[in-house]
Amino acid sequence: MLLLQLLINGIQLGALYALTAGGFSLIFGATRIFHFAHGAAFMIAGYAFYEIYDKLHLPWYLALIVSALVTVAFGVLLDRLVYTPIKRHENSFFTLFAGAFGVGIIVQNMIGFFFGRGFVAISTPLSKGVPLLPGLYVSPLAGIAVVVALLAFFGLHAFLSRSHTGMALRALADSPELVRAYGMSPQKLSQTAFALGSLLVVPAAILSGASAGLNPSVGSHVMLISLAATIVGGVGSLRGAAFAGLLLGLAESLALAWFSSQWSEAVVFVVLFLFILFRPSGFFGRALVH
Amino acid sequence: MNAVTQSSTATAGALDTRPVLLEVRKLGKRFGGVQAVTDVSLQLRGGIVTTLIGPNGAGKTTLFNLITGHLAPSSGDVLYQGQSISGKEPWDIARRGVGRTFQDLRLFSRMTVEENILSATEKSAWLWQPGGRAEARRRREKVAEIMAATHLTPLANARALDLAYAERKFLSIARLIASDATIWLLDEPASGLDPRSYDRFVALLRSQVANGVTVCIIEHNLDVVVNVSDRVAFLDQGKLLAEGTPREVLDDPRLASIYFGETA
Amino acid sequence: MFAYLLNLSVLICVNAILAMTLNFLMGYAGIFSLAHAVFFGVGAYTAAFVSMHFSDSLFVCTAAAMIISGALSLALALPALRVRGEYFVAASLGLQMLAVTVFSEWRSVTGGLGGITNIPAVKVFGVPIETANGFFALGVGYLIAVALIIVVLLRSSFGRNLQAIRDSESAAYALGKNVSAIKTLSVVVSAALASSAGVVYTFYLSFINVEGFTLDLSVLLMAMVIIGGTGSLLGPIVGAALLMLLPAGLSFVPGLPQAEVGLVQQAVYGLVMVLLMIYRPGGIVGGGSRKLAASAAVKGAR
Repeated sequence: MLLLQLLINGIQLGALYALTAGGFSLIFGATRIFHFAHGAAFMIAGYAFYEIYDKLHLPWYLALIVSALVTVAFGVLLDRLVYTPIKRHENSFFTLFAGAFGVGIIVQNMIGFFFGRGFVAISTPLSKGVPLLPGLYVSPLAGIAVVVALLAFFGLHAFLSRSHTGMALRALADSPELVRAYGMSPQKLSQTAFALGSLLVVPAAILSGASAGLNPSVGSHVMLISLAATIVGGVGSLRGAAFAGLLLGLAESLALAWFSSQWSEAVVFVVLFLFILFRPSGFFGRALVH
Repeated sequence: MNAVTQSSTATAGALDTRPVLLEVRKLGKRFGGVQAVTDVSLQLRGGIVTTLIGPNGAGKTTLFNLITGHLAPSSGDVLYQGQSISGKEPWDIARRGVGRTFQDLRLFSRMTVEENILSATEKSAWLWQPGGRAEARRRREKVAEIMAATHLTPLANARALDLAYAERKFLSIARLIASDATIWLLDEPASGLDPRSYDRFVALLRSQVANGVTVCIIEHNLDVVVNVSDRVAFLDQGKLLAEGTPREVLDDPRLASIYFGETA
Repeated sequence: MFAYLLNLSVLICVNAILAMTLNFLMGYAGIFSLAHAVFFGVGAYTAAFVSMHFSDSLFVCTAAAMIISGALSLALALPALRVRGEYFVAASLGLQMLAVTVFSEWRSVTGGLGGITNIPAVKVFGVPIETANGFFALGVGYLIAVALIIVVLLRSSFGRNLQAIRDSESAAYALGKNVSAIKTLSVVVSAALASSAGVVYTFYLSFINVEGFTLDLSVLLMAMVIIGGTGSLLGPIVGAALLMLLPAGLSFVPGLPQAEVGLVQQAVYGLVMVLLMIYRPGGIVGGGSRKLAASAAVKGAR
């Protein structure tokens, strides 16, 4: 029964990880930028909702809209005000990484300054477990998480494969000139990628804030998951990152059957390391060339 | 259009007795939906200069990348001295004696000319090179000789990124000489050279071939094709269309129409 | 006042060693590591353990620290670097987070959350180092030694190999250079030298615990390297000094509650980093351009 409980928790966690990793993979796949401030976007989404809903006591849908707007704005502004100017001066892994890194530090510390360093939780009756079977508690949040994740990925898939913008996004990383030839602007597309990728973390952050709580160091954990899932799923594969996110969530949860919770990050690291050792191209990744 | 024209003239017969140093067998490379190289088979014999010609985008550089290990083939094999090298790391293949230059040169721009050439002699990845002071002195002497042979001695302490175009081209060849490669894959080495530099380049090439180097060149320059090559291979859209002596390949009207874009 | 400055100087030396060794990895080998605090910690814990159970000789403790740190970094680098640099970032982040858990849980070696206390004085040729001046000499001595080793390496064929890989990795491959081996070696050198800072730290404080080796420190070290500038040996030292003096400087700002100084200072580093990357990626010492337009020059005039 414990295993079943952990399995269900793992699916809930995995759905949230899938959304987060999917956002990172989408951005990286389209722009080739190692968006190390993705964790910061997650934190902004979660804390914005917390502020509006828990502190200001406004209705949840308002909090959701504000959180989504602020997070998407963050992603887009980051591209316009930080990444693009950096690329203009010196476009290299180092400069973009250091820039994103700096932004992440600013956000983490500003949040710590305004909200304190301890855990805060988004309070909602939905996080309470409902006993389905003796010894098996499932909270409605689990169901919501899975449904939201499924909807998001189906929607994303439809968008990427059917719409002009979506298909252009897929071409952006490999051939920005081709994209220009079709009358679309690589800059606008890049911003779209950031907007979409950041939007994906909004439900993940809110649901995570309701179930596990938020604190300023959650950003680095989110980054680790996003990176690990992108690698395990295969660089360049959105589907892979989502699938790997689910896998990591399940692994982290099921590991509790044998290890205490401090070792949960160790599980992620071990899975990541095993893949690097034995299958570096991940589940669906393209073969790596020199 | 797909048949490979093999030559059978007397001069070619003499060359055919030289040992096959590098062989490409039915090599193919696929990128997603694009077949960049299809079923290419080619033999590079010791001491022979082979030139690869063909329109831009024909897959010539891709073929080089497949041979040197910078790309892994989708099908087929590459053999060096009889042993399969396809799928091996590029540095492993380079250490066996397969050297190359790049169309965009890829010099070590912030190092000096001397350091660039010296770097090519430092094979060990360890914290220091084997052989101590004696070997270190030998390496420096070798670098000095190579700089003299490539007319770079007065520029020994100039940074690679400060060099003129022709000087950079010679530096890329100098690095190759220093690496002791026995097969040279040169990607458009003569493009953009002024006449004097071109003559120096040909002289250098000929002296290296006389010393036993096997050369395969990608070139558009007709003088290289006619006056320097022993064999010519024509590639188009990833396929090897013809292979033979320069005269045979150049006189083939089909190939001319592909190369120069005239209607057949 | 003098005692305060002496204390600060020892800590600056420790951080300068860490920043220099991280810069060796990031600026010269082009490898990004978020696990540098781990090797600092491994060095510190090893030195403490050895001094308490085997030998209180400085040389033995340092040698042990460097060997263990180097071996751990080898285990991290061998698989991760075989693939790609970006993978190393991810793996190093994972290692850093894992290490904090290990440091907190492995009570028999690290003392768990409580850490290790009463670390004995370390001896050089039988003479114990116990005074503030003694530790200052140790700190400066190790800083100079590490700097010398790095300079010698950079001027040698190894340094040329690193430069070759930075300037054109594909050309380096084409000239027979085993790029992964060279990068792995850089990681090991960096980790081993960083552990020497841990040795100084552990004996200076005679108390260490996991709080000194967290992701926050790895982040701070990265900030030192980025802000000071990656292109030179002086850059990380400037970065280390600057970021260590900043909290002292901030404590003079009126109206800033003491408890929040840490957060504000970190936010300031972050802002400086972002601004530098936009306007002056070479950092304070490095200047406006890290690459001196090299790539444009190589493409050449046609």
